[in-house]
Amino acid sequence: MAVCAAIVGKDNSPKFFCCINPDEELTFQYKVLSSLDIIEEKLNPASKSASEMRELYLGQLYSLETCKIYGYVTNTKIKFIIVVDSTNMALRDNEIRSMFRKIHSEYADMVSNPFYIPGEPITSKSFDSSIKNIITGTV
Amino acid sequence: MSLIQANLSIYQNNLNIPQDLKVQPLALVGYSGLDIVNNAVHKSIWETFNNRTEKAPILYKIISNTHKFPVIKPKRNSYDWYIPKGILKRNWLNKYLQEVPAIVVIFYDLDWKDSLWNEKMIECASKVQSMRAAMEGRDTRILVVLIQNQLPIPEDPLAAERAIALCSSCELNSQSLYVLPHGQHLLGYTIRLETAFFDFCQNYYHNRVKIVKMHKEHLNKNSHQYLYVRHQFKMGFLNELKQDLHSAHKHYTLAYNNLLEIRIVDTNALEVRTVAGFINYKICKLLFALSLPRDAISQFKGHIDKFKNRLGFQELVFEHYAWLSKQYEIFGDIFDEAVKQGLPAVQIQHPGIYYQQAAQYAISRKDASHNLCSKIIAYPHPDPLEGLERMEFFGQRPWRPGKVSAEPPDPSTEANGIEAIQYLENQINHSSIIISLYGSAIAQYKIYKCPRIRRHLVLQMADECYNSKDFGKALTLLTHMLSDYREEKWYCIISNILEKAVRCAYLTANIQDYMQLSFEVLGSSVELSIEDKRRIYENLNRILKKQIPYGDPKLPHDVLQTAIILWQPVFGGDISIINLDMSQIVSCIEVKTRFVKPSFEIDQKVSLEVFVRSTCLFPLTFAQISVQVNTVNISSEFAVNDLADTSLTFHSKEVKRFFIEFEPDPNDINNEIEIESIKISIGDPAECSATLKFSGQATKPEHPELQHFKRSQHEVDFDNIKVVSKASIVPRHSKIMVKFEHAPPALVGECYEIYVSIINQELCGIKDLRVEILPEQDCNEVEFSCVPEFGTVKLPLILPTATTLSRSSKLTTSLFLRASKAEIKNIFVKITYRVDSDKPVISIKNETIVLPVVQPFEVTTRFLSGMMQTIHKFYAGENFGVMALIRCMSPWPICIEETSIEFITPVKSVEKDLQSIIAGSTISKEEVATELFLAVSDKQSDHNLAIGEYKVTWKRENGMSTITQVTLHGYHCDWIPLNLKVITPPYGLVRTPVTIEYHLLNQSSHLIQLDIGMEASEAFMFSGYRQTTVSVLPFSTKIFQYNLYPLLAGTVALPRLVLSIPENSTEGPALRQDQLNQLIERTIPFYIFVMPQLKGNPKLPDIIQKTNIVLKPLN
Repeated sequence: MAVCAAIVGKDNSPKFFCCINPDEELTFQYKVLSSLDIIEEKLNPASKSASEMRELYLGQLYSLETCKIYGYVTNTKIKFIIVVDSTNMALRDNEIRSMFRKIHSEYADMVSNPFYIPGEPITSKSFDSSIKNIITGTV
Repeated sequence: MSLIQANLSIYQNNLNIPQDLKVQPLALVGYSGLDIVNNAVHKSIWETFNNRTEKAPILYKIISNTHKFPVIKPKRNSYDWYIPKGILKRNWLNKYLQEVPAIVVIFYDLDWKDSLWNEKMIECASKVQSMRAAMEGRDTRILVVLIQNQLPIPEDPLAAERAIALCSSCELNSQSLYVLPHGQHLLGYTIRLETAFFDFCQNYYHNRVKIVKMHKEHLNKNSHQYLYVRHQFKMGFLNELKQDLHSAHKHYTLAYNNLLEIRIVDTNALEVRTVAGFINYKICKLLFALSLPRDAISQFKGHIDKFKNRLGFQELVFEHYAWLSKQYEIFGDIFDEAVKQGLPAVQIQHPGIYYQQAAQYAISRKDASHNLCSKIIAYPHPDPLEGLERMEFFGQRPWRPGKVSAEPPDPSTEANGIEAIQYLENQINHSSIIISLYGSAIAQYKIYKCPRIRRHLVLQMADECYNSKDFGKALTLLTHMLSDYREEKWYCIISNILEKAVRCAYLTANIQDYMQLSFEVLGSSVELSIEDKRRIYENLNRILKKQIPYGDPKLPHDVLQTAIILWQPVFGGDISIINLDMSQIVSCIEVKTRFVKPSFEIDQKVSLEVFVRSTCLFPLTFAQISVQVNTVNISSEFAVNDLADTSLTFHSKEVKRFFIEFEPDPNDINNEIEIESIKISIGDPAECSATLKFSGQATKPEHPELQHFKRSQHEVDFDNIKVVSKASIVPRHSKIMVKFEHAPPALVGECYEIYVSIINQELCGIKDLRVEILPEQDCNEVEFSCVPEFGTVKLPLILPTATTLSRSSKLTTSLFLRASKAEIKNIFVKITYRVDSDKPVISIKNETIVLPVVQPFEVTTRFLSGMMQTIHKFYAGENFGVMALIRCMSPWPICIEETSIEFITPVKSVEKDLQSIIAGSTISKEEVATELFLAVSDKQSDHNLAIGEYKVTWKRENGMSTITQVTLHGYHCDWIPLNLKVITPPYGLVRTPVTIEYHLLNQSSHLIQLDIGMEASEAFMFSGYRQTTVSVLPFSTKIFQYNLYPLLAGTVALPRLVLSIPENSTEGPALRQDQLNQLIERTIPFYIFVMPQLKGNPKLPDIIQKTNIVLKPLN
């Protein structure tokens, strides 16, 4: 189970942010924002890995004392980020990957919603609850 | 107090890696007998040894005569009862680095041929003896170097003999004696000596390692755990001195592992941890030096994992955090050093990460020390830390020196000591440590392209500045970071930063920043509680009324007090208007401007719209709104004046539109004007007012493609208003009428006239009229003129006109042009004038004449033989006809006034008097006029001949005459030796004889022999040679005459003349049969017209004389 998930637009502005513990939202925002540095570097066309990038899942971006951060980038440069507590050893790479896929499909549904204005932060409650379900593993 | 200061500095210093451990271990070589102060030769030798770029890892040290070597400890045979008091002695490292040399070198000035050899030898020996005495008991080797003035001679028996003598008197073996000739090759000699010295050093350290190793068998794990560590450490260090890094690493690792086996209790936690830090430092450094950075990092991580939770005394837990922080910092330093040596680091593994972690632990240290030490207000007496600077072992407590951990501690001494350390800890400025660590981390993150992590660190640094009450610095850091966060729109973070920044601005009484930040805070995207926003809104209003704003109630009372004291002088003096640059800020006021039109004519007013939106939750009232407009030369400011129906009070989410109109400056014609900025002032200028300056430029929408998804429910769709910040001033629209009268298409070469008529339809007269003609760019094919003659004219051509034109009157002028190429031309006409009124604005009218140009006619040529057949080859000396055909292509009929041809040699005219027969005729489109000239070529020519210049003088039916000249091109010209001419009458009469002459002309200088024959014809009876052989002499003519007697009337075939080359001709092939056949074909007519016999007695044509012809058979 992850502790935080975020969706970041192609201009690196936050589109969606959810935290299991709302008190930690600010610290997680800082961590997620910092992880964009590594995503940017990985997406940098100068680095060779980017040229043959077909895999959307970027793997673990970096790990801190308290948490591990994973990244996923869609073809339209929408970034999904999941933060996992570093004490949580149970979560394997495959599970993170499938979590990302679920978030991606939720996001695709969200964008197709005619009431959602593309580019705006996502405020839908049902979206929030489904993302929370995905990261807590209740789905 | 100074005692406490001294203890404090030692206390802090104890965390650092000692200098002895930090330096690169170098083999120590002692030099004796060198007087580098007084003796120049000695000085130069000393400098040569020391100042070289590629030096062996040796440290040279001058040993004076009075030098005292450290006392040798008595040898211990058994360790049975020995209990070590600590792990590492403080002085041991220094002993090997600085005190005990691996070898001692005695320098002595002595030449082999020295006159006082014996005396000097004895002196040298005594020096060696005294040194040996001083080093008694050590296995340091003594070497002697003789400094000589003369270069050594190879195979010198004297030298060999004296060397042996010297060695024996000094009791040295022969390998310990060296000679250093002081002369030209000093550097080379020193390199060789140094290599030898270094060998001895390595030997020495190798032996030391062996000796230490031998102790091992005396040890047992129960009581000598410390010694296991110490001995392995010593071996590691000695191997480092020997420059054997691999062995050094092995021994250090063993030492570290032995250390981990020691049971850690509160009393020895500091010592074990300190030594562990040292050994870890050495291991990591060696691993980096051995290019094993991954191993270094994993060693360090393991090290931290093992010691992270070994806290030691709960009362001194800050010491543990200080140590952890230091470990990270030290590793960061080693890593950074390795990077500087060329190790490549990456984004997720670089020194900055360790500095950041060090800062984190420094914060933990600070928190712990705040919890534990804030109660301690006095330093205990007597000083429990006495002797801190003289500790024998690393990492021990001064109140418990050298005691084995097993002994139970004395509780009161222990408590006193802890109190003393807590007191010292309390004196430390933690914030500065944290800030400097953040500084190092920030610098590293910047190198490794982590701008966002760097920003986060800067914010943490700002927090620390805030904590250390350096509000000004915190404010600077926060405001600098704001702009970057704004760009990426992380409003949650921005709100957090703004809250802190506003607080800092308040606490430093920085009115400018406070106001600017307040406007930003009041914006809708900032997620601050409504109470906070209201307080800030009220504070803004208070400032505008020159009242001190209220502080954040969350702030402690004393801080608020200081802030209020700072605020008081702010309103004391005259406050000038506060200028706030809002261009980079997403504030609660948004402004957009647009010009109503993309271009304005000079006699119109320029009008622009200003839209202002307030997203502030509370009403805002402005004093004035003005717009700064830049033109090329000046910038001017225009204020919104017309405020009758719109007030300047904005409620939440209200959008208002304002109009501004102004007269354009005539100097700006054809230039762009631009909205530079919009200024909104707030507050009463008499009290305190602020001017908010917004940029007039459009901010780039981040998703232009998504823009139309946004829809606002308000009457003015503010989000979708496009900013138009630029407009151009154009000349006034002209009201004159221009007409062009001409008869297109123009013909190439003719002088074409265009009538330009201008009718003034303005309301008043015009003046300064100017008509300019401009061709297309790069158009060289058209000539222009104002008169029907062409010369060189300057472009643009100015047509001669009157400069004034009264109302409703007309003006006419003409333009002449001549085109030399058939294509469609554009001619631009620009009419400039001023209106003759009280406001003389310049008006410009641009017109374009599209003029097709066509060829008037086309001249083609045909060439004919004497028989009127088309030919494609000329023969020299043979006449041919030149037929010029003029095909009219113009839609207008063309009058041909005159034609003439001028032949170009070698072609010349056959006729003497050439006359144009088509002169005076008129041809219409697609009609052809033609005429024929007879010409002959004198010479043969291999390439196509230019026949002549054909000149046609023509005009349109009522136009001016034009001469068109065409060069006629013919074919190449051949030559054959024979020419043939026939003279026939134009017609014959039945049964009336006619005479035909065939002239054979030899044009060559050779004889021509031919067979000539005449074939029979049923239409004629004839007389003359039927078949004969003829020889034509050079340049002569042979004539054959035949009398024909026509039998039939009509166009009848003549008897055929046959020419052939005799089979047995001796002449060369100057003439071929096919040439002969062709010659006949083109020169001899095949037919003759024979008229029927006249009734009665006809009169014979003149050429046939009436003679009585006697027919007799030919022989």
